[in-house]
Parts: sequence; C-alpha cells; structure tokens
Amino acid sequence: MNTPTSLIALLIFPAGLTLVLTGMFYEWADRKLVARFQNRVGPRWFQPFADMVKLLTKEQITPALSNRFLFIGLPIVAISGALTAALYVPLMGLAPAHSFPGDLIVTVYLLSLLTMCMGLAGWNTGGRFSLVGATRTLTQMFAYEAPFLLALLGPALAAGSWQINIINDYARDHLFAISQPIGFIVALIGLMGKLELPPFDAPEAETEIVAGALTEYSGRGLAMFKVGKSIELIVGITLVSAFYLGGLHGILPFLLKTFAVLFLMTVLQSLLTRLRIDQTVGMWWRFGTVLVLAQILFTILLKGGLL
Amino acid sequence: MRIGTMFTDILKSFFTKSITQLYPVERVAPPERYRGILAYNPSVCTGCSLCVKDCPSDAIELVILDRAAKKYVMNYHMDRCIYCGQCVVNCKPKSIGMSNQDWEHAALNKNFMVHYGKDEDIAKYLESLTPAPDEATGE
Amino acid sequence: MNTEQNLQTADLLLAPWKKETAQPETNRLDVSIAANQLRQAVSALHNARWGYLSAITGTDLGPAAGQMEALYHFCNGAAITTLKIQLPRTDSAVLPTIEDIIPPATFFERELHEMLGFKFKAAKSNERLFIPDDWPEDVFPLRQDFSIEQAKPVEGRQAVEVPEAGRVGDSTFVVPIGPQHPALKEPGHFEFTVDGEIVTAARMRLGYAHRGIEKAAESRNWIQNLYLFERVCGICSHTHALAYSLGVEKLAQVEVSPRAQAIRELVAGLERIHSHLLWLGVAAHEAGFDTLFMYSWRDRETVMNLLEQITGNRVNYSANVLGGVKCEIGPEQAKAIKEGLNYLEPRINHYLGVVTTDTMFLNRTRGIGTISCEEAEEFGLLGPTARASGMLRDVRVEAPYGAYKQFPVSGVTETNGDLEARCVVRLKELLVTCFAIRAIIDNLPTGPLTVRVPRKIPAGETISRVEAPRGELLYYIKSNGTEHPARVHIRTPSLCNWVSVLEKAVGRQLADVPMLIAGMDPCFSCNDRLITTVDAARGRKTWSWTQLREHGIEYYKR
Repeated sequence: MNTPTSLIALLIFPAGLTLVLTGMFYEWADRKLVARFQNRVGPRWFQPFADMVKLLTKEQITPALSNRFLFIGLPIVAISGALTAALYVPLMGLAPAHSFPGDLIVTVYLLSLLTMCMGLAGWNTGGRFSLVGATRTLTQMFAYEAPFLLALLGPALAAGSWQINIINDYARDHLFAISQPIGFIVALIGLMGKLELPPFDAPEAETEIVAGALTEYSGRGLAMFKVGKSIELIVGITLVSAFYLGGLHGILPFLLKTFAVLFLMTVLQSLLTRLRIDQTVGMWWRFGTVLVLAQILFTILLKGGLL
Repeated sequence: MRIGTMFTDILKSFFTKSITQLYPVERVAPPERYRGILAYNPSVCTGCSLCVKDCPSDAIELVILDRAAKKYVMNYHMDRCIYCGQCVVNCKPKSIGMSNQDWEHAALNKNFMVHYGKDEDIAKYLESLTPAPDEATGE
Repeated sequence: MNTEQNLQTADLLLAPWKKETAQPETNRLDVSIAANQLRQAVSALHNARWGYLSAITGTDLGPAAGQMEALYHFCNGAAITTLKIQLPRTDSAVLPTIEDIIPPATFFERELHEMLGFKFKAAKSNERLFIPDDWPEDVFPLRQDFSIEQAKPVEGRQAVEVPEAGRVGDSTFVVPIGPQHPALKEPGHFEFTVDGEIVTAARMRLGYAHRGIEKAAESRNWIQNLYLFERVCGICSHTHALAYSLGVEKLAQVEVSPRAQAIRELVAGLERIHSHLLWLGVAAHEAGFDTLFMYSWRDRETVMNLLEQITGNRVNYSANVLGGVKCEIGPEQAKAIKEGLNYLEPRINHYLGVVTTDTMFLNRTRGIGTISCEEAEEFGLLGPTARASGMLRDVRVEAPYGAYKQFPVSGVTETNGDLEARCVVRLKELLVTCFAIRAIIDNLPTGPLTVRVPRKIPAGETISRVEAPRGELLYYIKSNGTEHPARVHIRTPSLCNWVSVLEKAVGRQLADVPMLIAGMDPCFSCNDRLITTVDAARGRKTWSWTQLREHGIEYYKR
C-alpha cells in the first residue's frame, strides 16, 4: 500500500473526515426518525455539525479537583479508540484498511475503550453526578459486553474465522439474520446498550443525574466525546449489519443495510421506557446471555452435524 | 403485559405530517376572545378611571385634559400589563378593549409606553411634560 | 352524619378545654383554647378520628392589639373546626409542637415560625424551610410592623454547604437534586444521601420561588388580589382564583348565579384535564418514556386551544371575576368543547391502557413508592396521591361547592398506593371530568354572568376549600371592612404531600427518586409565596413591591 493512498484512506475517505461526517449524519438521522415517530419535526440536517462547531468554540472548564492530565487526555484516547476501531470494519462497503486474524476482538474492545474512557472521565471529575454516571456506565459495560460479543461470535463460528474481512465475505452468501435470529436480536439490543441509547440510557439519564459521566465536560473535551460516540454508532452499526444482514460490499448496500439497522434501533428507542441500571444488568445476565449461548450452541451443533 | 404499547401511535405518526406549528413561517390566527394589547377609544370614555383603579399592575394612567370635550390621553405601560382584562370588565361605556390580532410584541428596544388618544391631545400632553427651558439648564 | 352533627361532636370532644366558642359560618366552629392545652385538644380530635389537620394559619393582629393568633383548622367532610390560640407578639409566643401526633404539621409549624415568629417547643428540627439562610434572625415578614429595611442579608452566613464527595474509600455521599436540575421543572432543593444506588436519607428546602404573595395581598384591593392569586400557580391558576372568589363572595354574602357557577366548574374541569395530561407527560419523561411524554402533551394542546377559545388565554385564564365569570359559553364554544372531548376521551383511554399494560413502564411504576391507606392518613396526604392509596379525600365529593351540587363528580380511588395507582387515578379522574363537562354543556342553567359585589367587603373571616388538581386548596380570608384584605392565608396541597416523598425515598434506588417526586405532582410555585431578592451584580437586596416597581419604572424610562 503506497503512502499517499493509505493516507487518503486514513484521513479523508473512507475513514477520517468521511467517517466523522457520516457518523454525525447518522446521528442526525436517528434524532430525526425519533422525532417523526413522536409526531414532531425534529432537527435540521446540519444540527450535529452545528453542535460540534458550537462546542469547539466554547470555553473548556477543568474542575479543580480533577487530574488535569487525565481530564484532557481521556477524550483524546476515547476518540482515537473509536477511530482505530473503524479501520477494521468494512466502512462504506469497501474492504477494511487492515485485517488480521482476531481483529474482531480488537475492534470490539477498541469500542469499549471509548466507554471505559467515559467511565474513567466521570470518576476523574469527581462531582456527585459524574460519579453516579461513571458507576452506571461501567456497570452497564460489564452487563452487555458478554452477550454482545457472543452474539457477534455466532456468525464468526459459522464462517470459521475471527477476522472481520473473512466473516464479511462469508456473510455475502449466508443471511445470518434469518439463520441466527436470536443472535440478531441480541446483537441489535446489545448494540443499543453499547451506544447507551434509550432504553439503556441509564448512565446518562438526564432526569436523574444531569448528564452522567460527562456532566463536567464542556468545550473541546465534550466535542471529542460526542464525535467519538457518533463514530461508535457508525462502527457498531457497520459490524452488526455486516455480520447479520449479508455482508457489506459496495457503497449502496452499505447505506441501505446500515440504515435499516438504524431504523430498527429508532423504533425500539421510541417504544421503550428507560430501564433502571439494576434492571438492565439483570436483564442482560438473565436473558441476553442465556439466549445467545443457546444460539451459539445451536450453531455449533449445526456446523458440526450438518456441514 | 405488552411491550411497545405505543406502536400504533408511532406508526401513524410516521406517515402523517408533524403537529408542530412552524412559527414564524406558519402563523395561526388567535381565537376571537384572545386578550392581546389594549385598544382605547376616547370618544366614548367618561373619565371615571375605574380601569386605573383596579388594574393589578398599575399599567394604565388616564390623563384628563378636558372631560366635557372628551380629551383624554391614556398612558399604557405595555410591559406592566398582565393582560387580565379587568379594565375591560370595569368599563361601562366599553371604551377600552383588548385586541385579538395584535399580540406579537417582542422588541429590541424599551419603548414600552404607548399613548392612546387623539393625536392633538397626545401632542398637547407630551408638550406639557417637557420642562421649561430655564429648568433644563439647571439640571 | 351531616355537618351540624359533625360540629356538635367536635364541640363535645373539645369541651374540657374550650374557653369560648363561636360559629362564624354555618359549617365552621371556632374554639378558643389556651396554648398549653393544645396537645390535649389535638389528641382528642385525632384519636376520635374527627377529620384531619388541614392547615395552620398564623395572623398578626397588630401592634395595637399586641397579640398574634394561631388557627388550627381541622376538616371533616364539610365541617371545619378551628382551634384558636392567641399569644402575645413577643418572644414568649411559644406553642407546643404537634408534629409527633400529626406528622404533616411540621411544615405548617415551620411556616408559622419563619413568617410570624411563633416558637415551637420540642420541635424536631429548627432547620429553615422557606426563608433563605442569610435572612436575619428575629425578623418576621408577615408581622404588621415589618419593614423592608429590617431585611438586610446577614453577612457571612451562608447556606450549609454539603461537602464534595471524597473519592477514595467513601461510599456514601449526598446527591443534591435542585435548585437547578433537569428533573425539576421548578426550583426546589433535595438532598439524598446515597450508598451506591440506595437512598439512605432525604432532606429538602423550599422557598426558591417565594414571591411574597400573602404579604402583597394586604396592600391591594379585593379586585386586584384576584389576579394576584391567580398567578400563584400556572397550572392550577383557576382553582386559586375560584377559591378566592368563593371566599370573598361568602364574606360579601352575595349569591352568584347558577350559570356562572356552572361555567366556573367547566373551566375548572378543563384545567384539570390539562393539568393531569401535563403530569402524565412529566412522569413519563422522568421515567425515560419520552414518546408518551410527547403524545400526552400533544393531546394537551387540544385542551389549551379550547381554553384559549373560551377564556382568551392558555394559562392564567382570568375567567373569574368577583361575583361571576367573564366568559360566556355560547353554542359555538359548546360545539368546540364537545369536539375536543370527543378527540380526548379515546386518547385518555389509550393512555390508561399504556400505563397499565406496558411492561417496561410498569417496571418503573408498579410497586414503587407504595403508601398504604393508614400511612396516607398518618402523613396527611391530599389529592390524587391520597386517593391512589384508597383514601377518598376529595373536597368536591365531601363538601361540594359552587356547581358541584348540581353537577357532581364521583370520587376515584385505587387501592395499591404505588406509582401506577397514581397514574391510573389521575387518568380515571379525567374521564369523570369529561363526563361532568358534557353534562354541564348540555344542561347549562340560564341567568346572568355576574352579580354586583361591593368594593368594601364587610368584616369577617371565611375559609374556602376547593379541589385543585393536586388536592385540597384552602384559603383563609379575613376582612376588616375596608377595600384591602386584612389577611389571606393559602395552604396549597403540594405542601402536605412532600412528606410522602421524603419518607418513601429512603430505601429505594436513586433512579426512583425523580419518579417519586413526580408522582406526587409537586407544584413548587404553589408552595412558595414570600420574599423577593434581586440583582446579583448589586448585591442581594430584599425589596418591597413599591421599591421593585419604582426601580422598574426608572430602569425602563431610559
């Protein structure tokens, strides 16, 4: 890979700038869809960009009691985790920039790096709401991480590989949404937990703890966390749609399939009430894990018995 | 015990126009009884000043220049008025009323005083307010 | 038993301690007792389960008379027994506390202490509730000789600040909710001590929206006060104006026409619909169910538009005048109301279905904040919060006023007492209200809209009780024959319901706290009625109404 091409691929298209812009576009689509479901108008297309620009122009206030190094560094680590994770998924339907055996695990954990950084940031700022928010963020992470990874494991087992590239190609001929429906549902709901979308938005429950872990963040730090979250949105949706909706090969299938997943998520968002943190954890460890384990068992038997 | 009880609502809303009123692009006319800004007609006023007496926020001042000739000037503090309508209730000859068209009063200046009356009366009243020249220099 | 028999029972119960009795109105009995026999008298009424303590009013009879009065109002159905105690206006105005007998008395006693200077022996705490922490000691706003110069903020005396949570090895800390918090629609301060997610203690402060209304009422004439009281609360504004008008009309001994009373009930019914739909949206929003929030508020717009059509404004309708109403209900309005109700009733039924069957919403409401019927009675709860626990406490049913005799409403109760029951009670009340509104439109009595009320109201005192959407609202109005009232005391329902939040929050999770607060439908504006401070740039000052107005005039003259 020669340097100019890889630089362009890294910074402009499909990762880098395009990734950030697409992430914000999907965030807008999510808000607009939820608004239309609630019979409202919703924001205009440039709202997330306007929010970003506004945040970047605002003053960043560092709480006195926090560790300044961590306070400024954590958003940077978070966003770099999200951006790096994007290199291994088939963004825009093109082949991933890098690929090696086991990169599925790396991707998922790079996404979790974002969540962990948010939790740490909340603990670091030390305010009352941030602490409660940080606790909830980390608790929720422990809850959905296992079922989500296991749900992604189903197609991996069927494809016989831990490499996203290979699974993507394998999925082209096998529609896992139909053959592993439970895995699909758990993956979808797991994604909503990972992204802290309602009904799993207890960590940032506005009516209880103001803004959760990010309460004390403002200006650049908050902007970086928000961009990180929209990137996580895109990367997560790409993963789930690549695995379960028949692989992503080409820009048009990418847009259609990721949009379908986004649509499903917004429908679920509008229909369900927020769960309390103990109910979230209880639900995941009781239903989510058990169901997905059953699914994997079934897949293993199927693959071993029939293939 | 169901999940997603509001599903029919969101399904319907997805295919219908949103309920939001896109003000100021679309403006809905207020109803007939809407209590907007004051409207005063000095030609039927009797100068009884009951409107002034019962105003909860002292938003009206009535200056009687000539009761017999019906020369009145009403000073109305638009910012103090709470649009309750008690002045309208008190007025027997119905010389005071509340507009139902004029209600958009956000402004960039603080000119909240409105003078009602015939133009020559208002001019005469405003003239009487300005101090005589020798007083002005003494300030 | 009817009101007369009720009052006779009370008379007998209080016989050992009464110094003199009077009957200012047919349904009221005033019993004067000595301060040191208060506890026995209260226990006698409490043990015989004669009604409930509705309010404690304090009045300053003036430096000339040298006395202050404390009035303990007990209500049983339509009968009201008032225990009157007179004490000198000095430091020795000491009353024994009754908060161990009747828990809700705490808030009433604190109000009396902070506003008038009564001291309560053996009260559990002397923490300030309404007035700010830097208000000087021994300056009591509701006294007749209070002047604004006395109210200088005491320098160096800040509110007790709760220290920031330690970060290592400290598992309990205090989560403040308010005065600024997304969960609260109006400012109020709650401190919940949490251990992890479980709440272990709760405290509260009120007074952030205190505007000095009771004091301000004493310098305005009777008609101006109508609009002042309407603005105590935006959501229950009509009920405040109604209570005041009914009281003044009773004092003036004026009979309002049945048509006006019916229209008053109609507007009150529409207000109840708007208030309960608002509450439903807020409760759903606190739970995280934004969709229900958006839809219930969308349907609320129907009612707001109806109110605008009938009265001319969406909030602060000013439908009442002393002696009747301003707005006529003609065929056009009747048709619009019927169309609106036709739209609303199926929607309310739909929300009833959502609230009782949606699994995830039930996870947040069923079994949470359960208050049993006995606890409800002990806490002195009012309104839908009490009715959800099975206690039918509804002024419209027990002591019908205005047009409620002709167009009655049935009381709605549930037995479970949890948050779900409170949702269900409010929604079912809406259906009952819609039924009553239809009955009124179809059978609107004929007659004039207003009756003349004199400008000088004859001397006397009266108690006016109406059912606001949040519970029983009590107005104590005293006139001394002039154009200005001598004393108006308002006891709003939200004040009585706070105890339920504080008691029930302990032991529950932090996530349930906003739902508990929302579940009792708090109206902070109703609670706070005194003291204004202005202008952070120029330092804190407390201004009287005249000073504030003069400042406003000067400021805007530029």
